[in-house]
Amino acid sequence: MYVRSRRRPMGSAMSPFLARSLFVALYTLYPLGCILQLGPDTGDDLPILSVIGLLMVAASFLAFAVLAGSSFQRQAQEPDAKLDERELAQRNRAAYRAFAVLAGIVALGLLYMDLRMDFADRFPLWAPTEQAHWNALFWGAIILGLTLPAAFLAWETEPPLED
Amino acid sequence: MSRKDLADAVGVNPQTIGYLERGDYAPSVELALKIAGVFSAPVEMVFSLKPFASLAQIIRNKGEH
Repeated sequence: MYVRSRRRPMGSAMSPFLARSLFVALYTLYPLGCILQLGPDTGDDLPILSVIGLLMVAASFLAFAVLAGSSFQRQAQEPDAKLDERELAQRNRAAYRAFAVLAGIVALGLLYMDLRMDFADRFPLWAPTEQAHWNALFWGAIILGLTLPAAFLAWETEPPLED
Repeated sequence: MSRKDLADAVGVNPQTIGYLERGDYAPSVELALKIAGVFSAPVEMVFSLKPFASLAQIIRNKGEH
């Protein structure tokens, strides 16, 4: 997902370091926030962990919103005709790597669910059961799928030379 | 000529010119020919498989001969 602004049709210029920091924040705050927010209900009047988790998820969405308008996201999501040959070559590499990572995560998830079924009587492993759990997994998968190619681009791109 | 001017002349992102200067990206034949055309020079004067000698090195070599 790339959000184009009228003022910056090529995406907001962002240093690779800032983009990498935002991607790291996105990929750590979202899952940790979900775990804290959806953890066991302690019955407290003020579920402080749940509030902290919600704030972490909100911060991750903020990072996502900033990245959605970045030049990295533009390169990852623009139609081919709007990119030059170097951008296309980088995008193709990034998309291939992102696909490999996503396929690996899906395979590991299936392996986990398989092991959980096999060892259900000995080790009670966690599994998503409530709608909120599936909701968190769904949006996590969407965010990862939408941003992972741009994240690989952020790690591949060198800072631009001064003109 | 700035990177942006050259990029506009050959229809690429200015960052791509930076990649070419650093030697981080090998252009297609088409792009190499376009860039050489902008400078009205043969393509082998602009691109080479071996690194070009620096201007200081060239002057030093001339001084030695």
